[in-house]
Amino acid sequence: MEIIEKISYFVLPCVVIFVGFIIFFGKRDYFSSFSSGAWNGAKASVKLLPTMCALIVGVSMFTASGASDFFTKLLSPVFDFIGVPSEIFSLILTRPISGSASLATFKEILDACGADSFAGLCASVIMASSDTVIYVICVYFSTSNIKKTRHAMPIALFVSFFCVILSCIVTRIIFE
Amino acid sequence: MIGKCFSFLCIFSFIFACLTGNMKALSDGILAGASKSVELVISLVGIMTLWGGIMEVLKSSGIISRLARLLTPILKLIFPRSFKDKKATEEITACISANLLGLSNATTPLALNAIEKMNKGRNSDKATNDMITLAVLGCASFNLIPTTVIALRAIQGASITYEIIVPVWICSGLCSLIGVILCRLIGKFSGDY
Repeated sequence: MEIIEKISYFVLPCVVIFVGFIIFFGKRDYFSSFSSGAWNGAKASVKLLPTMCALIVGVSMFTASGASDFFTKLLSPVFDFIGVPSEIFSLILTRPISGSASLATFKEILDACGADSFAGLCASVIMASSDTVIYVICVYFSTSNIKKTRHAMPIALFVSFFCVILSCIVTRIIFE
Repeated sequence: MIGKCFSFLCIFSFIFACLTGNMKALSDGILAGASKSVELVISLVGIMTLWGGIMEVLKSSGIISRLARLLTPILKLIFPRSFKDKKATEEITACISANLLGLSNATTPLALNAIEKMNKGRNSDKATNDMITLAVLGCASFNLIPTTVIALRAIQGASITYEIIVPVWICSGLCSLIGVILCRLIGKFSGDY
């Protein structure tokens, strides 16, 4: 497991240094492309605020009203059975539907359970290794007149369900 | 969609709080949620700015198109029909490489482009096998560096931050693989489009 740790620490610095080299040795002014890209990134994240505000208010209402605890308790036998911590129930629900909604629930889970808890780790792996399935399928086929998506949705949903279970198994093996 | 999520959460929580008498907690939750959203966005601005800049440099220096060329042999196996007919190959590679680098904003328009190109000259409203594979791969989102998740974990003071990369590779890799295999199998049985 130590090797995993070492590889992981190298990935991001390598990318940054690589970009540093390009900027230093490149024939063109790559720093200006860096700043234009960075500015776009900054704008994109600030644009998230209105959606995030609404969704985080919604999610924290859901938690504060006790509804989230109620469902977590109700479903915990099922989740225990498949080896998934029941605290991440809300993430499993929102992840396929919307990127910002799942980001909001993800943050809520990290706040509530702690980032280094088993639930927090599982939530992180799920968040990073699956995408907004329903949204993707609807949008990808939207512009090109395709109405029958055949087996796209069932396979995509199956894969994202499989991803939840697999994430918990892999997290357990690597971190415990 | 997001609007409906929001109204569902509000209405449901309100009813639940009425039933359980948690109204004070609910009203505190609203205020806390609003300020938490600012915290979250501010914590994301830094990493999104850095990442946007890094990706722009990789794009303009041609590294991304080089990566796309490296991917071609693998993509030939995954999208046999499109690569045989030399249809939309560039669009597919661009879309998959954007996905690999976690450029989620760029992936969607590229995928739309790819599917439109694949659909050119066809007279059917049914998705082809290759289109479905592309959509399923988009869903499994194999992502080399999950920056957002790492950044959020670091801000929460987690001691495990970068180590999350390896389990993510394993999971999204296996999910993509299974997705592709299922697509090919079901595609084969349900007829060749």
